[in-house]
Amino acid sequence: MTAEVKVPFVDLTRQFRGLEKELMQAFVDVGRSGAYILGPPVEAFETALARYCGVRHAITVANGSDALFLVLKAIGVGPGDEVITAANSFIASAWVAVAAGARPVLVDVNEDLNIDPGAVAAAITPRTRAIIPVHLAGRIAAMREINDIAEKADVAVVEDAAQAIGARYHDRPAGSLGLAAGFSLHPLKNLGIYGDGGFITTDDDALAGKLRLLRNHGLRTRDDCQLWGYNSRLDSLQAAFGLIKLPKLDAWNVRCRAIADMYRSGLKNHVCVPEDKPWELNVYHNFVITTPRRDDLMTYLKDAGIGSAIHYPVPIHIQAAAHNLGYEKGRFPVVERLAQTMMSLPIYPELEQNEIDLVIQKIKAFFG
Amino acid sequence: MGKPGSEVINFLPDQYRTTNKLAINHNYLAEQFADHDVILAKIREVVIRGDFTLGEEVDKLETEFAALCNARHAVSVGSGTDALFLSLKALGVREGDEVITTPFTFYATIGAIVTAGAKPVFVDVRDDYNIDPGCIAAKITKKTKAIMPVHWAGRPCAMEEIEGVAAAHDIAVVSDACHAIKATYRGRQAGELGTVACFSFHPLKNLNVWGDGGIVATNSGELANTLRLLRNHGLFNRDECRVFAYNSRLDTVQAVVARHLMAKIDHITQSRIANARYFDVGLRGLNGIQVQQRDSRITEVFHLYQVLCDGRDSLQKFLVGCDVDAKIHYPIPMHLQPAAAFLGHAVGDFPIAESIARRTLSLPVHEFVTRAQQDHVISLIRKFYDR
Repeated sequence: MTAEVKVPFVDLTRQFRGLEKELMQAFVDVGRSGAYILGPPVEAFETALARYCGVRHAITVANGSDALFLVLKAIGVGPGDEVITAANSFIASAWVAVAAGARPVLVDVNEDLNIDPGAVAAAITPRTRAIIPVHLAGRIAAMREINDIAEKADVAVVEDAAQAIGARYHDRPAGSLGLAAGFSLHPLKNLGIYGDGGFITTDDDALAGKLRLLRNHGLRTRDDCQLWGYNSRLDSLQAAFGLIKLPKLDAWNVRCRAIADMYRSGLKNHVCVPEDKPWELNVYHNFVITTPRRDDLMTYLKDAGIGSAIHYPVPIHIQAAAHNLGYEKGRFPVVERLAQTMMSLPIYPELEQNEIDLVIQKIKAFFG
Repeated sequence: MGKPGSEVINFLPDQYRTTNKLAINHNYLAEQFADHDVILAKIREVVIRGDFTLGEEVDKLETEFAALCNARHAVSVGSGTDALFLSLKALGVREGDEVITTPFTFYATIGAIVTAGAKPVFVDVRDDYNIDPGCIAAKITKKTKAIMPVHWAGRPCAMEEIEGVAAAHDIAVVSDACHAIKATYRGRQAGELGTVACFSFHPLKNLNVWGDGGIVATNSGELANTLRLLRNHGLFNRDECRVFAYNSRLDTVQAVVARHLMAKIDHITQSRIANARYFDVGLRGLNGIQVQQRDSRITEVFHLYQVLCDGRDSLQKFLVGCDVDAKIHYPIPMHLQPAAAFLGHAVGDFPIAESIARRTLSLPVHEFVTRAQQDHVISLIRKFYDR
């Protein structure tokens, strides 16, 4: 039996319908300009993103994976090097190290889903070149501790901020807390476009210059190729969409935080809910709860027409792709337990009050 | 990382600067966009479905594209560059390998080889701008994993000879067909040439989208499956990652654009061919201009219409001064680029490529160019050399 969907886990069309006129006008404007690669909308979007993240440079690229990968290439990470990241993330966080020719060194996370600084410190070796803390689900990792570890070990910190645009930590925005940060503009992100896209933030002028070369065939001018690079550019059309949405992002994030507050107070007696620490501004890309009865609850909600999802059911170290890295099951107990107990509830700015109420009511009913 | 304080670069290709549009242009995208209402409605449907990553439109495009170029499989990717790069990766090219190619190409050909970890080994071109098949065998070593011929400007390479050499040495042929959609070689479509054929949907290509995009055509089901994994994080399904791999997908909204324009590809191709013939007739025999020899066994699709000319830089300046967007593709061959310094080449290593780079000039040849505009260009060139 398939229940009628009453509260979809995601529904991108709600935001689209609200902005349709502006978005379509942007489409026509860019279309008529005949300039579809780089060009004025991309420049304007990069300027706006840099300002939003409080950094000197934002460099747009083809997607969030490339954003992290190109940073590793730009700082010279290669074969023989190690890159430390969290075992509980989207697979791209580990892939970037593999793609650069380095070895991803996975570490366990804390109950807040983010990388455990103690485990990071223990994983440092003479071969470590970079740490990639993942700001999972919209919550910034313990950057003070991580930056301290990185400074002592003289390694770079590259924030995986794919899920954290607009999040803050001790009042500083995601993207301004390490050497560089990689963001995703994938449609499902808090700032999402209508295709693949991403960007890098950094305060380092030389790094920014190198990244602009790497993303566009190494070209300094049309006829001067400084290095053999990649083609990883944000389409001008997508930049124009991003420019329309960016000014609305803070209000959307405020709304997601309000929904999180409602979920938290409604559900805290039944499941483990994420709590904000005083120095955190979490933007709730996902609202992740944990319960030992996760699978039953998901089925129950599905039957009640409420969408939910797991981010992520198979930890990176257990994926077939990670076989060569030699991590056995049981190596990262927190990640593995979370993989059995966590689930994400619908959370997006356009979620209606009656939908939020229904989610809370059904979960309460499940626990009787 | 570079030294602190070094120059910050934000290079934007000049063909996208539309502020100083000329009367006769290379960039015709505003004209192409004229019937956007039709396509906008289709894109809206996709957006309303929330279909942004892969999905039905991408599947349909791949099926139609495979049929268009007579290949069993087509796998769309993020760009023509990625089509080349991922093909090399799918073939297992890695650190220490060598790939034989031409020095007369766009940067992406070499970028794909180098970023895949391999060393580009150059072979000079012939007068037709394409790799000289007779010189390839001498460059093959134990490290050679592939030959990457470039069908420059939409003119197919001497594939029988190239495939013969490759077969004799059991190495793959990765065709750079980024310029060559609908080109044919002795009755075979560009998509049938080589182990894989890589195409670009870059906005100024014969078949384009309105952003970056590319596609690989192949008859190998195994390579197609590998490419499908490589382009999408190595994901076999949402939760199962078989291999750590790339994100290189054609946006679903761009697949709509590609399908819309694919319906016009015969018209686009025939217009370019007709325009090129008209230039051939009008320019052949002019003082200072050398028109290419044509070969009846191949179909050139004229992504670019190029002639060799005396005093090329002065002619270009003169034409641009007369509002004609004459361009140079490209003035500096790959082996002489700063990025190639590590290969240790010098001026004179590939004399034909270097000579073409000094003398070649591209004239607008796309489907929106009119006969009157072509007559004007021809008369300007005649005037330039007669003065």
